[in-house]
Amino acid sequence: MGDSAYSFSLTTFSRTGKLLQIEYALNAVANGRTSLGICAKDGVVIATDKKLSSTLVDLDQVSKIQKINEGSGFVYSGLGPDYRVLVRKARKSSQSYHLQYREHKPVSQLVKSTASVMQEYTQSGGVRPFGVSLLVAGVDADKSPRLYQVDPSGAYFAWKATAVGKNYINAKNFLEKRYQDDMELEDAIHTALLTLREGFEGEMTKDNIEVGVVSQADGKFRALTPDQIQDYLDETS
Amino acid sequence: MSRDSNYDHHISIFSPQGRLYQIEYAFKAASQSSGLTAVALRGSNSCAFVTQKKVPDRLMDPSSISHIFQITPKIGCLATGMIADCKAQVQRMRYEAADFQYKYGYSIPVHVLAKRIADIAQVNTQSASMRPLATVSILIGVDDEKGPQVLKIDCAGHYLPFFGTASGSKEQEAVNFLEKKVKDMKDYDVDETVRTAIMCLGSVLGSDFRGSEIEVAMVEGTDGTFTVLKEEEIDLHLNAIADADA
Repeated sequence: MGDSAYSFSLTTFSRTGKLLQIEYALNAVANGRTSLGICAKDGVVIATDKKLSSTLVDLDQVSKIQKINEGSGFVYSGLGPDYRVLVRKARKSSQSYHLQYREHKPVSQLVKSTASVMQEYTQSGGVRPFGVSLLVAGVDADKSPRLYQVDPSGAYFAWKATAVGKNYINAKNFLEKRYQDDMELEDAIHTALLTLREGFEGEMTKDNIEVGVVSQADGKFRALTPDQIQDYLDETS
Repeated sequence: MSRDSNYDHHISIFSPQGRLYQIEYAFKAASQSSGLTAVALRGSNSCAFVTQKKVPDRLMDPSSISHIFQITPKIGCLATGMIADCKAQVQRMRYEAADFQYKYGYSIPVHVLAKRIADIAQVNTQSASMRPLATVSILIGVDDEKGPQVLKIDCAGHYLPFFGTASGSKEQEAVNFLEKKVKDMKDYDVDETVRTAIMCLGSVLGSDFRGSEIEVAMVEGTDGTFTVLKEEEIDLHLNAIADADA
């Protein structure tokens, strides 16, 4: 990564001790479409809006929510192309883990290695930080459901509920009011949809949002189909 | 030096607002530099794309000037922007397609090629050593499972599948034209697909053209061979359009 012509870091400390490229990267994330996640006691849900620039885009074939391995999935806010790089690296690292240990890479390990990659790009020569914040949903090795947020700096935190992208402050306030520690996955999905609807421009339908779910029962991450999303939308209205 | 706020205009680092100016400038170069507009759309079992053929000098050999490239027998590419960057990206596409065929023993699906090229384009937006290419490429092909596909790859490394799309200087007008027809497009047969692409281009350029002034290419059917239309074939379509209007 980075050529010998640029063997110096592009992300350097300012006089006030800040890493400005990382702050600017966070601004790029805050311009992206909203994504959110909620960790219930028996599973995790992540959701995002899928609005694209034109009706000419074939939306069925586009998805922001990506499964990384059997038990983990990502969603993001920010720059799409940068996200694809992280998805690819995460999938490769999951396969490599599986090759060595014959077990699925637990979500906490996956987050650590992805965050480490993001940190490298803030320090290596000739590259800029990733312009994405990731929300990672998974059921960990100890069977506990986990939701993580990974930022462009490489910092990661586990959350009970969080949002990134446009309007994230309002979304997080909304989530704070509605979150309960003993929430079940079904409630979490409803709350996620309600939160998305809060900041949504126009009508929210099964075709312009995406939802991904992993439940503690089977530990498998899956993206909901539009018909499944419609069922939940019907229940919330 | 990278702390200077002006450096963010020179290489792919973030501006204070979180923008990447180099990518925005690459987009400008891709749409303005050649002055061409390209239109692509897909029908029920075929895809077509069309662009202008501008020969800058009468002494030039017109057959050497083209923005349409065949990548594999079943995948074609229309690249708008700076022609040298277009050719560089096409060379890479041809290499990736051939390498896939060699490694896996079957021809690369269009969307896989599009993703690969888009991922390669993304590297230039994150690494300072190479600038983004000033090229927007539209790939067409017929996929075994998904049917006819039109995918557009841009300077930022975005790639998306479309029912219909455009690139170049009159991109927005062309897209407005296509949006009005998007509901009907999936039922178009081969001729309607080609003719709608030509009509769209004619409508945004505000002029009629002859067969020698545009380039048209398409893929059709499940065997999906990519073909560039000859001037006589283009004239047939132009005449059919004129008759339908008359």
